[in-house]
Amino acid sequence: MALKQRIEQQPAWVLHTLPWRETSLIVEVFSLEHGRAALAAKGARRPMSALRGVLMAFQPLLMDWSGGGEVKTLIRAEWRGGQPLLTGRALMCGYYLNELMLRLTAREDPHPQLFAAYEAAVSALARNEHFELVLRRFEVALLHELGYGLALDAGEDGAVRPDGRYRYIIERGPVAMDADGLEWVDGACGEDDLPLSGQTLLDMAADDFSRAETQIQSKRLLRALINHYLGGQVLQSRRVLKELQEL
Amino acid sequence: MSASPSSLDELIDALRCLPGVGPKSAQRMAYHLLQRDQRGAARLARAMSSALEVLRHCERCNTFTEDTVCQRCANPRRDPSQLCVVEMPADLAMIEQTQSYNGLYYVLMGRLSPLDGVGPRELKLDKLLARAGDGSVREVILATNFTNEGEATAHTLASLLGARGLTVSRLSRGVPVGGELEHTDIGTIAQALVERRSV
Repeated sequence: MALKQRIEQQPAWVLHTLPWRETSLIVEVFSLEHGRAALAAKGARRPMSALRGVLMAFQPLLMDWSGGGEVKTLIRAEWRGGQPLLTGRALMCGYYLNELMLRLTAREDPHPQLFAAYEAAVSALARNEHFELVLRRFEVALLHELGYGLALDAGEDGAVRPDGRYRYIIERGPVAMDADGLEWVDGACGEDDLPLSGQTLLDMAADDFSRAETQIQSKRLLRALINHYLGGQVLQSRRVLKELQEL
Repeated sequence: MSASPSSLDELIDALRCLPGVGPKSAQRMAYHLLQRDQRGAARLARAMSSALEVLRHCERCNTFTEDTVCQRCANPRRDPSQLCVVEMPADLAMIEQTQSYNGLYYVLMGRLSPLDGVGPRELKLDKLLARAGDGSVREVILATNFTNEGEATAHTLASLLGARGLTVSRLSRGVPVGGELEHTDIGTIAQALVERRSV
C-alpha cells in the first residue's frame, strides 16, 4: 500500500501537462528521488496563478507534493534557475526526450542516474550543442538505465575488434559476421539487419559519437531498439518533426 | 444497467464533449437545464445549431465568420502588408484592444504540440503558407504564446516563412509595463537578460 507522504524540495522536470477540470492541470514530472510522478496542480490555469509560468517543460524546478494515490497533489513549484528556455530545433529535440521518458519509464520508479542524464541532455540542448550527439548519448543512457540491456560486447570472450564487422540482433547483442557463418558482403544486408563496425561498438561503449560512421550506425541501431521496446507505439514528436520537414 | 431514460443519458453524454466536464458535471448541467432552465436550454440548442450551420472559417484569416471573408479582412483601411499570426480568436481580440496594430491577422486555431499529436497537418499550416504568400504580405508578426508550444509554433513558422522570402518578426517578451524587478518572477527576469537589447 502506498503511504501518504509529503515530498519537499524535490529536484524535478515537467515532462508534459494536461488540462484537468476547469482551472487545473495534471503535470507529469520526472524527479530525482521518486522517478516519474503525476501531480495535480490545482488552480494552475487561473489567469493570475503563480504556477502558470513555472510549470513548463525544460525548466529545472524544485517541487513539493503530497499524497499516496496514483495522482499526488502539487503543493509548491519553484524555478531552480540557471538555464535559458529551449528554442527552435533544440525545443523539438526536447519534445522527443520527453516523449521517450513518458512512454518508456514507469511511474514511481526512481532512476537518479537517468535523472542526471536527462538534466545533462536538456542543458546541452539549451547550449545548442550538437543535437544528434546529445540525443544518442541520452538514448544509450535511457536503454542502459531501464535495464533493456544495450549489449555492446560481442561473442563469448566479449572482445570487440575495431576492424571487425558485426550485426546487432535485438535482445541478444552484436554478433561478429564471420562467427555467424555468414559471409559479409557490402550492401548485401537486409533492412532488418543492423550492421555495425567494431569501432562503432567501441565508440558507443566509450560514449564517443564524434565519428561520422558511429553517428550513422548508432542512430539506426538505437532507433531500431527504441521502436522494439515501444512495442508498436508511434512517437508523435518524431511524426510531427517528419511532417514539418516535408513542408 | 442505467435506469434513466436514454434521451437523458444522451444529453449527459453529449455535454461531456465540453473541455473540463466529466460525468458528474455533465449530469449536474443536464439536470439544471431540464429542471430549472428549460428556456435557457432551448436557447442553447437553437444557438448551437444555428452557429454550426452559419459559421465557417474566414478564407483569409481562418477565424470564425458568417461570410466567406470576414469584415476585418475585407476592410480596405487595414494594411495588407502586415500579417499577425495568433493562436486563438481571444488572442486576436487582445491585440485589437491595444489599438496599436492596423495590419491583418491569421488565426491558427491552435498550436503545434508534438506530445499531443498536433502537427502541421492538424493545424493546416499550408493554408497559412498560402495566405502569407499571396504577394501583398511583406511582414509576418508571430504573436503565438510564450509557452513551449507557442515557441515551437513560432520557430517553425519563422523558418517556413523566412524561406519564402518574407520578413518575420516575433513579439518581444520581458518585464511587464510598469513592472518592478523586485516583484517580477525570476524566470521572466532570466529570459529578459538572455534577450536583452542594446539601447
